[in-house]
Amino acid sequence: MNCEVCQLNELEVEHFEIREVLRCILHTVVFHRALGLVRPKDIDLELFEITYVQCGDAELEKKIDEKIDQFIGWVEKHPNKKSQICLSFYEVKNRQPSWFIANKVERLYWEQWYINLNVAQHTKAHSSKSHHSKVVVDPRESAPEERSARRAALEASLREVLFQIIKFVNEKKDHVPPIPTLEGVVCFPFEITIPSSSDSFGMDIFKRMLQTGHPTMLS
Amino acid sequence: MDLHGNSQPEPGKLEQIVYQFRVKSLHMILDSRVPSLRRHDRSGDLSSASRARKSERWFNLALGDRPAALDNVNFWHRSPMDPMIIDVILVHEGSKSTGEYIETVIERWVVQYEYPRVVAAQTGESSASYKKTYKKSIILLRALYSQMRLLPAYRIFRQLSTSSQTYNFDIIYKVSSFSDPFSRADEEVMEEYSFTPVETFPGHLCISVTYRTTLSDFNLEHSTSLLPKIITDYVGSPNTDPLRSIPSSEKGVRAISFPLRGVRAPSPGPFQRPHSWTSGFHRAAFSAQSQPIVGSPPAYRPSPMQYDYPSPPTDIYGNRVQNYRPPIHQKAISYDDYQLSPPFSPSPSPSSPSYIASGNPMQKRVRPETAPVSIPLPITGRSSRHLSPSSFDPNRSSLPPLSPRSRRADPSSQESPSGITSFRKIEALRSGEVQNHYAGHKLIRDSKDDSGRFSGLLSSSGSPRIGFSRSSSRLSFQDDMDDNDFSCPFDVDDVDTLDLQASQNLDGRKASEFTSQSLPIGRKSQDAAVGVLVHMLRTAPPLRQDSSCYSSHSMKTEPEGGMATASGFFMPRKTADALDELRSYREMKDLLLSKSGTRVVSKEEA
Repeated sequence: MNCEVCQLNELEVEHFEIREVLRCILHTVVFHRALGLVRPKDIDLELFEITYVQCGDAELEKKIDEKIDQFIGWVEKHPNKKSQICLSFYEVKNRQPSWFIANKVERLYWEQWYINLNVAQHTKAHSSKSHHSKVVVDPRESAPEERSARRAALEASLREVLFQIIKFVNEKKDHVPPIPTLEGVVCFPFEITIPSSSDSFGMDIFKRMLQTGHPTMLS
Repeated sequence: MDLHGNSQPEPGKLEQIVYQFRVKSLHMILDSRVPSLRRHDRSGDLSSASRARKSERWFNLALGDRPAALDNVNFWHRSPMDPMIIDVILVHEGSKSTGEYIETVIERWVVQYEYPRVVAAQTGESSASYKKTYKKSIILLRALYSQMRLLPAYRIFRQLSTSSQTYNFDIIYKVSSFSDPFSRADEEVMEEYSFTPVETFPGHLCISVTYRTTLSDFNLEHSTSLLPKIITDYVGSPNTDPLRSIPSSEKGVRAISFPLRGVRAPSPGPFQRPHSWTSGFHRAAFSAQSQPIVGSPPAYRPSPMQYDYPSPPTDIYGNRVQNYRPPIHQKAISYDDYQLSPPFSPSPSPSSPSYIASGNPMQKRVRPETAPVSIPLPITGRSSRHLSPSSFDPNRSSLPPLSPRSRRADPSSQESPSGITSFRKIEALRSGEVQNHYAGHKLIRDSKDDSGRFSGLLSSSGSPRIGFSRSSSRLSFQDDMDDNDFSCPFDVDDVDTLDLQASQNLDGRKASEFTSQSLPIGRKSQDAAVGVLVHMLRTAPPLRQDSSCYSSHSMKTEPEGGMATASGFFMPRKTADALDELRSYREMKDLLLSKSGTRVVSKEEA
């Protein structure tokens, strides 16, 4: 089973838009992969004229919101960085239980989504000094027209990302494992990885690769 | 649903998947695009609960209750090879704003099961292939669900279904196996999107959509203008005979909308006011939100139901003509209240300040039933004439519903003004019904053929449609009477279900427009009135047998004015009055019973 990877288009978001954008994207992806019995819930974004779908599962919402909080915390500590959030679906394969390995479950990732965000350090008052590597927006207090133009552009980009998700979900179906019976709404375990505050982003990827159990990585 | 079992052979399972897939996708599309269907079902049809539960689990996507309209889309009769083409049609005003409505297909969904004619003998796929197919179709439906929310049509659907305002446009649908291709001009503004087909070895399940990329070309806005239009021969006018007997309570109740509409619109386009009315009625209530459409409700005197004031209906209807769907988008909040406790709901819709001022809960209660006719009871406060409610206690709200029955034989009696009100409503229904009976039946007959030709039928004529929806709803209403386990035969739920079933007869498109809108305001009041009547009768067993019991019963259950009710001891004067009233009620009841056959009786005995 190969691991399908989808790199979503990069989005330039402002700090206050992160939560909504991330919620939208994460829930959309999970909705398409939560193949248990779902009662879809339509959620309208406040900042944009976009409606996305949630699974209607409270636990899932909590999990995602927690991750988003963590991410926002990280962003505040690491401003002006391009960041990537990885949503991965995996299968759990139990290794042979050994007497010394208590908790060695192997994760076989079969799908990974990379959400690329470029957080504009454009908080309300204080941002004049910060410089951005690739931020389009002027760090100064933008004129309302610029803001709305940017907002409209972001809405269009977000919509594009959602289309991208749907397209990917449609095209790649073969790698999805069989639906386990007797599971809840979200039948496939998943994890959301945010850049950790410890080190560079590359280390996170490395760590994930170790966990993946990809044949080439395992000894 | 039992796809994991091996009870069926594989082809059987695949067929089941394909069938359910079509049902589910249609359900989803209708749910996400046609606001009127959702509104109709919102009351929660009890009988469909079990059906919903089972069907919900298909494809692990619980969409809620299926619109009743789905049931009549004959999936069985259609070959699975035929594409299912669902047109989402926007009904909007033409650029000239003349009140004519244009239908434009804004989305065309095609659900197709492609099956190769020659199936190469392949033994490769095992029995697990249907499981894979099922899994993939689950994903496909999820993608469809999300996609529906991203396409431009979703915005206006949301506008229609959530806003309390009325708009000058509407969305309807049409399901068929074939469709006219788009014109060149249309094609240029449309884009196509195809979902990746799901392999259902040896075929494919495909969904694709052709949609308009932008809807800003249309003049979609709130409808605020009320063009006055004189309607000279509405049902309540002196011209029509208010004393004609009603064929049956149910029928009469149903048909009331038609006379008003049919009369009102000399050359009704499909989307003239009548339609707006019907769909609005479904969920009853003419809540406060619907009132603004009518202008200033207090200005209107009693509704045609009253038959006392010819002019108001004209105004009401005239004003409404321009509003394509004035009541449609009104949420039936007040109606729901009404439904829960019909006779005793003191919480009318807050729409009309005049009602509140009158302070009569009875009035309020009746009012919600007739949205377009904003004021069934005179706001002017001449309640002595019309409304028993004004003279009644709030607790006595149950009385008026009885009056239609009891008053049947004695229309001139003024003892129970509320009875007259309802009675006249029934009369209105009757007269209206006769007018369009033929047209309706004719259309219903034709609509049975759901091979797709009906769509042509529907789109061809104007006025017949009105009659059509009417009688269809009437017929379906009757059919469903036996099935429903409602306390009142005229519960809204009945109506909704029936209307939807009627619309199904039409296979959806115009039906959804018509039948959903076929609930006349008057009918609602009739329904409510008779419903309460039945409720009363049901809860008072002794009442039926003995006239002497009537008086005692009435004493017990219906406090009159400020009289003590529990004791049963009344001043002779009051007793006589009550007895008379009850006698008239009983007469009315008998009349209705005779009209409706065993239906009402069985309900009463329930």
